[in-house]
Amino acid sequence: MRSYLKLELLRSMRSPANLILLTGFPLALYLLSTKVLQPKGLTFDFEASHMVSMATYGAMGGALFIGGAIALERTNGWLRQLAVTPLPAHGYLTAKLVSGAVGVLPSIVVVLIAGATLGGVRLPAATWPALAVLIWVGVIPFAMLGIAFGYSMRGQSASLAMMGVYFLLSVLGGLWLPVELMPSGMRTLAEYSPAFQAGSLGWRALAGQWPTGTSLLVLAGWTLLFAALAAWRYRRAL
Amino acid sequence: MLGPNGAGKSTMLSIALGLRAADTGTTKVFGSSPVEALKAGHVGVLLQEAGLLEDVRVSELVEAVAGMYAKPLPAVQTMRAAGVEQLAGKRIGQLSGGQRQRVRFALALAGDPKLLVLDEPTVGLDVDSRRSLWQHVRERVEAGSTVVFATHYLTEADDYADRVVLLSEGRIVADGPVEQIKALVGGLEVRFTWKDADPGRLESLPGVRQVHIDGPAVTLRTNDSDATLRALFLDLHEIKDVRTTATDLESAFVSLTGGND
Repeated sequence: MRSYLKLELLRSMRSPANLILLTGFPLALYLLSTKVLQPKGLTFDFEASHMVSMATYGAMGGALFIGGAIALERTNGWLRQLAVTPLPAHGYLTAKLVSGAVGVLPSIVVVLIAGATLGGVRLPAATWPALAVLIWVGVIPFAMLGIAFGYSMRGQSASLAMMGVYFLLSVLGGLWLPVELMPSGMRTLAEYSPAFQAGSLGWRALAGQWPTGTSLLVLAGWTLLFAALAAWRYRRAL
Repeated sequence: MLGPNGAGKSTMLSIALGLRAADTGTTKVFGSSPVEALKAGHVGVLLQEAGLLEDVRVSELVEAVAGMYAKPLPAVQTMRAAGVEQLAGKRIGQLSGGQRQRVRFALALAGDPKLLVLDEPTVGLDVDSRRSLWQHVRERVEAGSTVVFATHYLTEADDYADRVVLLSEGRIVADGPVEQIKALVGGLEVRFTWKDADPGRLESLPGVRQVHIDGPAVTLRTNDSDATLRALFLDLHEIKDVRTTATDLESAFVSLTGGND
């Protein structure tokens, strides 16, 4: 089981998709928004808040795409091969979750570093590691949603569907454009969405504030819901 | 386990390995359920068309699988036995079909299991790889482990199996030592050309079980090819281009089950 975890960690570390899609893309978006577009009339520090948004956006993708790999490996018969080894079924899932959890760290760290250097974001020293941890915790529901997708759909279609969900949830959650710019009805909806609450952990930390009870409740609710969905799909797929 | 394509060999192995549930009956492997035997690391398996991870190196995959077993062979030794040591540093995505099959064989061997289960292990392998695979299988059997394999090649069963279970349409039609099965399907085919073949004379030749005439092309299926050939050369001077081939199992099956050619 440890040997398989090692293999999965190795894979997540050298996957070009992880590097480009989940680290390079959020980084590029961050620079585009803060250096080129520079939205006017905001009442808050856009460089800092968008740094959190993009780090969350990248990490969220990493968490979701755990499911993409599961769907592919289910389809190409690798899971069948694993089923005839001593590795228990939960061993596979654990390896995926742990390697996924490690795999999202570069997306977070790279965007935070870009904020600190290129974006000129200044924060108390203790806030930086706190941000990384909060963003990391905030994307847990997406890992569950990814697993649910991985055991529901086959091959590339899972990745395509997840791309759609990824895009929708991150736009709705105000990671691309702040929710302050949304019409009020959409904004209310946005505030109950998982991506907004994941982001808000970090946004509040910028101001030195603890996460609100609502944030934690909403995130826990989504996590439970997606985990239940994942467990149901997992059992169906066995 | 011998049978034509679609006879139920893979299904039977899937049940034996706990990948599928049996409609009736129970499955035991080393006295426990298949899943428990697999978990305990007693079984190494090569599945037909099993997927592999495309983005890892051969050595990495073999090491990861070996690490799941309590007493694995060193990865280098496994790779040598499966004939993939030259490919150790290659990504699996770059391998050919035959090379991938050898990697699957390496994964089956990695844990040094008591029981090796191979489903159509030589599919896609060239002659040399086939020979070295069977040679390794033989070594394992001599060292005391058990190898169960499925094949649709009669010759593979003939050369490497002590016991043959013959399957047809999901049923066991024969189970016993290889000689017994060979007698049942009728060992060899004798082919030749004879312009105006006389079926009556052919059927009366010693050993002949079945006669098939297609224009000038004649195929005899015989139990005793020596006797058939001797009589053929002595009695029938008109025939040409005589050759014998091992009975193709698929066509032998057709004759056994009474279907048309």
